[in-house]
Amino acid sequence: MQNPKRSTLGWFWQAVTGALLLLLLGVHFIAHHFIAAGGLRDFNQVIAYLGNPIIIALELAFLVAVTIHAMLGARSILFDLGLSAQWERRVTRGLTVVGVITVLYGIWLIYAILGANSAVAFWAR
Amino acid sequence: MKLSLPENQKLRFLRWFDFRSWRVGMLAYILNRVTAIGLVVYLYLHLVVLSILTGGPTQWDPFVALARSPFFLALDVILLAGILIHGLNGVRVTLTGVGVGVGAQKTLFAALMLVGAVLLLAGAWKIFMG
Repeated sequence: MQNPKRSTLGWFWQAVTGALLLLLLGVHFIAHHFIAAGGLRDFNQVIAYLGNPIIIALELAFLVAVTIHAMLGARSILFDLGLSAQWERRVTRGLTVVGVITVLYGIWLIYAILGANSAVAFWAR
Repeated sequence: MKLSLPENQKLRFLRWFDFRSWRVGMLAYILNRVTAIGLVVYLYLHLVVLSILTGGPTQWDPFVALARSPFFLALDVILLAGILIHGLNGVRVTLTGVGVGVGAQKTLFAALMLVGAVLLLAGAWKIFMG
């Protein structure tokens, strides 16, 4: 059975990241789908967009918030299956690992995209 | 390994599929869960698709041309619908969780879904009409 204290803490962080996401997802969706011509940026536009450190910080904050929110949500749905305390702990640990890997992948992705641009610029010289 | 599922807890999940319990509160709960699952699946699909960017413009730009097709734009509208339903429902859950509007949950749900429908129409128009 779920620990009530942990459950409340999970709900609190779900609400906090949810509130953050209203703002960050709004910025992300509007910037990518409503402002970009044709609804999506081409490669050069993506590089120009990521050239702004504030944008990178916002995108990383978005990634962290959405991952925490998603993992807590997945945990809550899985707990609805009526798991034993032992399995609840395993699910929590498993989702924590998945969440950390997701954030690390996102950080690597930004680094790799900017790296791909350097390679393109190098060969274009 | 054995999953321990006490009878009363098994029912909690199965109630999602019991149409007889689909009153407003349950409908809001189910919508929140279904959109949550869809958005988590989309999050990982999105991260996989973004990896195309590491291949540079030769790989990304043809994908962008494809993603601007009506089919993909329709998927964007479905995504926006999921975000609006989940986000606005989340606002209701948070508000009632801190004791705001507890007695008017159904009205709050209906009002927020109405706001969502208006935003969805405006968003769909923007997505398709630029």
